[in-house]
Amino acid sequence: MDRRDSTSIGDAQLVTACRGGDEEAWNVLVERFSRYVYAICAQGFRLSAADAEDAFQDVFAKVYVQLDRLRDPDALRPWIAQLTRRVCLDRLRTGDRELPVEDVEPDGFDDQLETLDQALAVREALSGIGEMCGEMLDRFFARDESYRTIGEALDLPPGTIASRISRCLDKLKSALEDSAPLTRPVGR
Amino acid sequence: MTTYDHEQLAQLLAALPPAPMGLVAAAQELPRVRQSLDDLLVRAKEDAELRRLLVADLESALAESGIRPTPRILDEVRTRMRRL
Repeated sequence: MDRRDSTSIGDAQLVTACRGGDEEAWNVLVERFSRYVYAICAQGFRLSAADAEDAFQDVFAKVYVQLDRLRDPDALRPWIAQLTRRVCLDRLRTGDRELPVEDVEPDGFDDQLETLDQALAVREALSGIGEMCGEMLDRFFARDESYRTIGEALDLPPGTIASRISRCLDKLKSALEDSAPLTRPVGR
Repeated sequence: MTTYDHEQLAQLLAALPPAPMGLVAAAQELPRVRQSLDDLLVRAKEDAELRRLLVADLESALAESGIRPTPRILDEVRTRMRRL
């Protein structure tokens, strides 16, 4: 697989390519889900940085080994979410594997996961609004970079970044409105 | 149709910051690491001296084979060595 095709390839195709031993497809899979998995561990389960890192590695080791067992390749995202949930629960139980899930899982976890699912869908839509816009929104909102840093990185006058971000958000909003229905908007 | 305003989009974009770079790179290396491990264990099955080296100093033996001896890898190799 050519990494340039990575944004257009669907999850099912990605699974098929990974099962066929395509290492570039595996790179794309890790890139596509790395933020999601880490966010479930760190935000959803509120693991410490060290535990979140261990859990992250466990999850991808399991995904790699167990990918052949995934019955519906279109269900890659929920499958990864479920694997991540199990890994984090095991880590929180710390030896007491008999503890019921409700005693270990943080309050509001399901709502948090729903938000992360929406966030992942929004990230996927970034690929459809042009590389510059996608990069700018990612740097500003997800990487928390300043106008100055973004301006230097993208060779743009810092004074124009705010208005560009606003236009890029409009493009993203339109891209999402044109796409298939997702779940309910956050906070509604 | 899904409608988000700018504030909601900003919240959702901020909800997925990058995972630490080293973690992503390590996960992407999994196929190569697993292949190296499999090759090493196949060799160890047929080579008593290599088996002795792996038992005596597993970390060094793995490093010499280009495999970073993380705790997870060490556990796995020890488990698989017991089955040889």
